[in-house]
Amino acid sequence: MRNSAPEQPDRVFAPPASKRFANIFGIGIFPLLAITIVLLPTPTQRVDATPDSFAIVNTRVFDGERTWQRADVLVSDGRIKAIAEELELPAGVETIDGTGKTLLPGLLDAHVHSWGDARADAVRFGVTTLLDQFTSPAELQKARADREAGGATDRADLFSAGVLATVDGGHGTQFGIPVDTLAGPAEAEAWVAARKSEGSDWIKLVVEPGWGRQLATLDQVTVRAVINAAHQQGLLAVVHASRLEDALAVVEMGADGLVHVWRDQVPNAEQVKIIRDAGIFVIPTLVVMEGMVDPAPSLALADGPLGGRLSPFQRDTLMQRFPESARVEWQVVLDSVRLLSEAGVPILAGSDAPNPSTAMGLSLHRELALLTSAGLTPEAALTAGTSRAATSFGVPDRGRIVAGALADLILIAGDPTTDISHSHRIAKIWKAGQPIDPKPTSTTKPLDTSVAAAPEDTFLADFENGLQSRFGRGWVPTTDKRMGGKSEVELEVRNGVLHIAGEIQAGGMFPWAGAMVFPGDTPMSAVDFSSHQEIRFRTRGDGRRYSVMVFSGNTQGIPASRPFTPGDDWSTIVLPFDDFGGADPGMLRGISFSAVDPPGAFSLEIDDVEIR
Amino acid sequence: MRSSLQLQSELAPSRRPNHVMHAFLAEVRYELIANWRQLDFAMPTVLFPAFFYLFFGVFFGKGSGLATYLVATYGAFGVIGTGLLGFGVGIAVARESGELRLKRVTPAPPAALIGARLVTALWFSAFILFELFVLAAVLADVRFERGQWLALAIILLIGTLPFGALGLAIGTRVSAKGAPAIINLLYLPSAFLSGLWIPITMLPEFLQQLALFMPPYHLAQLALGVIGLDAGHPWQLHVGVLAGITVVAGIVAMRGIRR
Repeated sequence: MRNSAPEQPDRVFAPPASKRFANIFGIGIFPLLAITIVLLPTPTQRVDATPDSFAIVNTRVFDGERTWQRADVLVSDGRIKAIAEELELPAGVETIDGTGKTLLPGLLDAHVHSWGDARADAVRFGVTTLLDQFTSPAELQKARADREAGGATDRADLFSAGVLATVDGGHGTQFGIPVDTLAGPAEAEAWVAARKSEGSDWIKLVVEPGWGRQLATLDQVTVRAVINAAHQQGLLAVVHASRLEDALAVVEMGADGLVHVWRDQVPNAEQVKIIRDAGIFVIPTLVVMEGMVDPAPSLALADGPLGGRLSPFQRDTLMQRFPESARVEWQVVLDSVRLLSEAGVPILAGSDAPNPSTAMGLSLHRELALLTSAGLTPEAALTAGTSRAATSFGVPDRGRIVAGALADLILIAGDPTTDISHSHRIAKIWKAGQPIDPKPTSTTKPLDTSVAAAPEDTFLADFENGLQSRFGRGWVPTTDKRMGGKSEVELEVRNGVLHIAGEIQAGGMFPWAGAMVFPGDTPMSAVDFSSHQEIRFRTRGDGRRYSVMVFSGNTQGIPASRPFTPGDDWSTIVLPFDDFGGADPGMLRGISFSAVDPPGAFSLEIDDVEIR
Repeated sequence: MRSSLQLQSELAPSRRPNHVMHAFLAEVRYELIANWRQLDFAMPTVLFPAFFYLFFGVFFGKGSGLATYLVATYGAFGVIGTGLLGFGVGIAVARESGELRLKRVTPAPPAALIGARLVTALWFSAFILFELFVLAAVLADVRFERGQWLALAIILLIGTLPFGALGLAIGTRVSAKGAPAIINLLYLPSAFLSGLWIPITMLPEFLQQLALFMPPYHLAQLALGVIGLDAGHPWQLHVGVLAGITVVAGIVAMRGIRR
């Protein structure tokens, strides 16, 4: 291969032609190879299109499992038709340039409770599938019918456990939905069969001795029987357990998933290994637990880029607080999730919305961020909210961007695969190929935002003139009927005192019945009481707990509330506005005095209501 | 010739870095010139892989998995050739002609000599890959993702190294006349048995087992791994074997050069 160069020594030192060759061609082969590689053809897929087809091109794609730094995705008939680094698109297909953006599969929230507008509220935040862990059979059947009808929809799909497995008086019975409770293992098989015939997609059990309080809960024998019955009837069995001890017990019994992470202690290495080896998945629901410790981060989301997508109802649930008694060891929760994820336990993203401090849809974005604080990479967090949730619950056709899957897609103006906070930068959402309107379409009328000045008089009502108040519109009955409930109430003024009597009926998610007073001249018009401090009234009653609810600000839905318990004798109750989390006395619209759960008859008297 | 080299030696009193670099660049240039002037030797090395690919890959394998498979394996075949022959035969000739001894009296350090040969071998490897990639893409409709094309090129270019070391080790131990014969005797059968010419799965089972002991097999498997056509051994095994060959052959070659 050599031994010819030094033939003419003088030329060795000045070989013009060869030197040029060596310099240009000699070094040039490497750039030539590099350029060739850039120009070499990559796989192209020729695809057919229908008139409604569109393609998102030149975009980063997280397909549910991995990230494509650059790809094209074609959508036809509400489904993903093709994904490739480069698609040879048919002529005339609408293209959406995704340069600098990231396409994600529609998110799945693996722990919600759905009623009312939940499915429409979720989809505005890119949560295109809800995995519900307790709702009424009616909600479930409606959702199943919609799902099976297919076609265009502007709401999230819903899969649900339906009614949960608990004992009479146990956790799950306090919400007003009639619950078919279990008394023992002998009922397990029939109970699961009943859920299956109602349309439950899986079975959820509650093992909850009461967060430190005493609460009746399923015994271990019954839990085991229900899990076995579920498996025999081809359903998954997931469990609510808030103590590590209970979680380990149900893992041993063969449960398929935990719908919360426990919150009492950090597991040791051996316990983590047991959970890992059992192949169980865990939905930590960090966001709802964070709300018990520090609601500020969730509240801040309302002022973020997604705030404009919140409906009044979503704003309200976000501003609600858990009672002081709801406690959680935050570091224990975070450390537990970290250990689980490090051990390789499948983690699923779930929010437990719409509990206090959460909002359907929005809170899942916070959950993804919290999962990264618990040690998951942004990609792992996205997997937890997409493909992993879909495969763990066996819900088909979603959670991935792959040919044949539903075209549930979110286009993000950023890169959430490296910075999870970018998930808030939603540029566009498609549900089954249909673009989703980011603006909430509330079923209630928008509120009048004008504010009247407060009257001199601080005495709102003395009941000397029937249901008239001394200022404002006066008193009306209020019940959960406007949210689908069945509770009843009657108001009557006798001897200058307001008598409120009725019955709370199970059936709505937040049952209530009582009396409402409007301080403005028309119902729900705002009056400025910002220079006033408190609500004061006299009351007596049957000894059950009642709620004063303050309707204020520019939102509608579940208001800020404070409890009171009237006894046999007249007493004066003073409730400072500051104690109503989220209430805005500067735009006071209404005050109600209502019975809430548990179901049953009630009787209450009110007099001398003041705003001072 | 001798006088001019002595003169050069006197004009270059020390091995300061810029002199070393100068010597290295000069060596690279002369290596390339030398090969350019003796095309009869370089041509087969450069053209054989492309030729084989044209025959088996394009005429027989177009549109099938064969065309895809053979891009990786003829790429491996090519770079192994430049490594073994370029280093092996080259060093044997240089040693026997006295050139090696002559170079030793120049201020160019041995590393510059070896480095220059390596760059030359990489040059040929790059050229072979260029030919193969273009043939495969244009004539055999082979399509890889951009990252796969790039990974193939990088793995195969680096793959020149262990076989260069192997060639060097052999070249320092055999005569100039014997070198091409001996090296080809090792090169061609092991290439065949490693599945470089035809897919390894077409060989009898026991030969497939035997392939594990063939150095070319390990480079080919790494390259095939990029396009998902490997036999499924862990890549660490292949990298380990190739790194082992580089180190052992490198030591043997260094001792041979000093002899």
